[in-house]
Amino acid sequence: MASTNSGTESNNGHSSSSEPETPQIRPVRMPTMEEVRAQEVWDNCAVRGVVSGVMGGGFGFFMGMLLGSLENPIMQDELTTKQKFIYQAKQMGQRSWSSAKTFAVMGLIFSAVECVVEKSRAKHDMTNTVVAGCATGGAMSARGGPKAACAGCAGFAAFSVFIEKIFDRHG
Amino acid sequence: MAANNMPAGIDKEQAFGMAETEMEYRVELFNRLAQTCFNKCVDKRYKESELNMGENSCIDRCVSKYWQVNGIIGQMLSAGGKPPM
Repeated sequence: MASTNSGTESNNGHSSSSEPETPQIRPVRMPTMEEVRAQEVWDNCAVRGVVSGVMGGGFGFFMGMLLGSLENPIMQDELTTKQKFIYQAKQMGQRSWSSAKTFAVMGLIFSAVECVVEKSRAKHDMTNTVVAGCATGGAMSARGGPKAACAGCAGFAAFSVFIEKIFDRHG
Repeated sequence: MAANNMPAGIDKEQAFGMAETEMEYRVELFNRLAQTCFNKCVDKRYKESELNMGENSCIDRCVSKYWQVNGIIGQMLSAGGKPPM
């Protein structure tokens, strides 16, 4: 009686497991204690931020490797093939590491800010995405001064709203 | 209704009657609590079947506040004879 999910699921009193002509409706199931605890762990803002940061880092790593492998500097011919290979690998490694850091920070800030804002507002809105996008863009462009921070804020907010709308349509 | 003390000399039938009234009161309280917080906190467009984080925290706060209000009003009604109006 005291579980937090009972408010939404107690209204589906007539679970349709007795109707043979509509088999695609699943019967109502109360969440088990493990599911509730797992959901509570996932709702923690620090956990969400760290997980998003790690995923962003992985994504940035592969993105950096891809972009690093595409660049082909004109090198002197005195370097042997093996040296060229090592040089190329170092370039790719540097590129992927810096890209991984950037994307990890981006994911961490965005996810943590969105989680905190949504928890404090207690609403699931587009405003959460806008605020989180602005914070992320502003934090990443803060090095260029206040004007760059504002531009980064607006740009990243618009980008995250766009991405959110794409996922909303199909989700 | 907030106090559960049984005065001495109460017989079985009266106790049953009081328990029944108390049970009805509790059921009514639960139904109204669930309905109020559901209507307040859950967006009716039902985009997904799981409660998201905003709705979870809204429901937590709603239930807590409802319970507090219920306790305060119960105390006021059981303490004074007539409402202070």
